[in-house]
Amino acid sequence: MSVKILFAAFIGLAGGLAVGAGFVAFISVLGIIPRLIQLTKTEKLIHSYQFAAVLGAVAGGWISLQDTTFGFWKFFLIPIGLANGIFNGMLAAALTEVLNVWPILAKRIGLQEKIVYLLMAIVLGKVFGSLFQWVYFVDR
Amino acid sequence: MENMVYIRMRYRVHVHQDQNIQVKNIAKVLGPEQLVKKVEEIFVHQVSIEDKTIVIIDLSQMLARILESMPGLEVQTFGPTQTIVEIIYDKRKVSYLAVTAVWLLLFFGTALTIMNYHEDVSMQDVHQKLFKIITGREDSKPLLIQIPYSFGLGLGMILFFNHFFRKRFNEEPSPLEVEIFNYQQDLDQFMIMNENKESVKQLDER
Repeated sequence: MSVKILFAAFIGLAGGLAVGAGFVAFISVLGIIPRLIQLTKTEKLIHSYQFAAVLGAVAGGWISLQDTTFGFWKFFLIPIGLANGIFNGMLAAALTEVLNVWPILAKRIGLQEKIVYLLMAIVLGKVFGSLFQWVYFVDR
Repeated sequence: MENMVYIRMRYRVHVHQDQNIQVKNIAKVLGPEQLVKKVEEIFVHQVSIEDKTIVIIDLSQMLARILESMPGLEVQTFGPTQTIVEIIYDKRKVSYLAVTAVWLLLFFGTALTIMNYHEDVSMQDVHQKLFKIITGREDSKPLLIQIPYSFGLGLGMILFFNHFFRKRFNEEPSPLEVEIFNYQQDLDQFMIMNENKESVKQLDER
């Protein structure tokens, strides 16, 4: 019996290890933490940022697997939603950048100085698409 | 030493169509003043229609011209060994129709992409569950998370690209600018190797 339990624990640990390593690799490739450090000029705090990311992943993983509820005031959700959105927005921005879309697009249509307009199209498109989905699309 | 000039080729210059390219257009010349004046006026290349938009002037090409008209001159060179000359034709109009089309394409394209992404990762379920965890109550449409989330998306992208539409947060280049710079460098490198008659020597047609 205890061999079975040990084996199950080992399988769980191995799965978590693989997912955690993959998650860190993904975050590193996209370079969101370096970007935030550059914006805030806080190179010294990199270790605490790493800790925050790891702690967030562990807390999120644990809570989503449990049935605990907290019963907090519901407006507490606004900052959580906002932080969630900013993080996802940075992910999306980093992804388009890794794919190297911008330089080619700008050169093709000869719009190097006006690239900010195209950026605006993407940003507003994301906001619009997301709002449209939550307010209207989910009821259809 | 009286007869010596130092020359540094510029990396990239713009010229008008039909312009005569002189040494002063593509290089910086240092040395005794009257020598510098003479060297700067030396004609190197006549821009013609066959050059299309880019012509690469190699150092050896320019030196040949200089030595041809001022034999006996001593020249020391430093810096790039070729100049990329971009020929600017009469201002090409940006078609507003094309820009509008691209703009709408990007707008609706990204709007649909983000919706597909949300469906793909079951964002609705995650938000409902999050609502339950935090407040202890059920809500099938947790807009209290979702509306700030939607605006956060846009804010996050702007933060990443360091642009508040026109205003920027600090002087460092944004990742986008770095990306465009890198792409331009790659293009330049390609043209230096392939457009420059002096740097590639191939066998004649077989």
